[in-house]
Amino acid sequence: MTEPVTTAKTAPVARTEAVIRIDGLSKSFDGRLVLDDVSLEVDRGHIVSVIGQSGGGKTTLMRCVNLLERPDRGTVEVAGEVVHADGRTVCRDLPRLRRTVGMVFQKFHLFPHLTAVENIVLAQRKAGVPEPDALERAVALLRRVGVAHRGLALPDQLSGGEQQRVAIARALALKPEVLLFDEPTSSLDPESTREVLTVMRELAADGMTMLLVTHELPFAREVSDHIVFVDGGRIVEAGPPQEVLDRPAQARTREFLSSYGDPS
Amino acid sequence: MSGLFQVPWSDYRSDLLDALWRTVSYTVVSFVGAVLLGLAVALLRLSKAWPARAVAAVYTEVFKNVPLLAIIFLTYFGLASAGIRLDVFTAGCLSLVVFYAAYLSEIFRSAIGGVHAGQTEAGEALGLGRAGIFVHVVLPQAVRQALPGTNTMLVDLLKSTSLLVTVSAAELMSEGRLITSETFRALEVYLVISALYFALCYPLSQLLLLLERKVRAGVPLSPRRRRRVRAARALLAADLPTAADRKEAVA
Repeated sequence: MTEPVTTAKTAPVARTEAVIRIDGLSKSFDGRLVLDDVSLEVDRGHIVSVIGQSGGGKTTLMRCVNLLERPDRGTVEVAGEVVHADGRTVCRDLPRLRRTVGMVFQKFHLFPHLTAVENIVLAQRKAGVPEPDALERAVALLRRVGVAHRGLALPDQLSGGEQQRVAIARALALKPEVLLFDEPTSSLDPESTREVLTVMRELAADGMTMLLVTHELPFAREVSDHIVFVDGGRIVEAGPPQEVLDRPAQARTREFLSSYGDPS
Repeated sequence: MSGLFQVPWSDYRSDLLDALWRTVSYTVVSFVGAVLLGLAVALLRLSKAWPARAVAAVYTEVFKNVPLLAIIFLTYFGLASAGIRLDVFTAGCLSLVVFYAAYLSEIFRSAIGGVHAGQTEAGEALGLGRAGIFVHVVLPQAVRQALPGTNTMLVDLLKSTSLLVTVSAAELMSEGRLITSETFRALEVYLVISALYFALCYPLSQLLLLLERKVRAGVPLSPRRRRRVRAARALLAADLPTAADRKEAVA
């Protein structure tokens, strides 16, 4: 392959530069507080996993990063630029912000009227990538996630695992600085889950920066630099996987983990 | 039965061709206008501003609940008596446009509204702008949804042009009436006129059904998509299963 498919890791490992910095974030829907003074950082090349019960605010937190959700208070900083502060969108160029941040959804959301390869080409063309380059990159990405043999299939002709891998390729197409994964395996059977986690493991090994909302605790333990346990819209506990998963300091964390049985 | 066909049809051939052409013109012009107006009304009805929604809703309800013939009389005779004199082609097309736009707007509204919200979000997350999302994500999926209803309306509109006989629009039906008054052979003439309508509508609806099937199967129809898929196929040649692979998989 002539071209590196993921974002090249330009920063030296020692330098801790936050790609995402969230500070004092609050958000409510119809008077119900779903995020309450949440702060979080994701350094370049790091993987942060957010765990917690459904409805606890994990997904909302993640959607605030690319402003699919607008927080009421607090600041959101992406790649060194404040994009949202105190309930106001500071970012003037939302499309550019969103090209910096790739997102993978629980329900894939592939464009059903386009073939797999066209799904990956569309946003590149709109971002000004010339057609031959966009196609070449789409094909390279399809190979990388192991779905090239299905490149001309429509989404509903693909298995769930194939669809999610195409969705990952689509999110990578614009060479984002960070990838957001919103419960990427929650709609998948075990076989498909394994396929998707394999791709994500490879991305992790390549140094991709990732923020991940997941219920796959063993996977989170394996790849994460940092685990954040969110409950009732607040961060209850955060730290390296060995601490949060093996020696949780908070009773609420222990209670949550016990519902998974043995977390390892 | 031998006495049924006595009208000298060869004398009327060029008149009938003219009439046929006029029927097609009414249909094409009115349908294009109705699609554009219908899309505009549908977008107003999906707008966040309630006055826009209200205007669109009133429009739709009014023109859905007034007979087409009344609208034709209003635009041709009614407006003329108020000093706005439209020629028959303009009045005819205008009537068909405002009437069919009301129905089409309902079809378009439900088709656009039926596109999953996740699709818009996926477009946003990829950095597509509002226009890009509408044109490349929402509209193609809405077209797929709207196609069957829209096609029905097109054939219906073609048949409704026959109502323009009431304002002597010189289309097929008017020509039929003219020939009848000259030959007094109503049964024969209107059988031929009906056959001509059938000869227009049946192939049209079959063609539209074929189009529906192709669009539903995701067949690339635009030249740009065809080029892109062809180029992708060339790049993916080594990865795609060959015919031999597929045979093996079936065996």
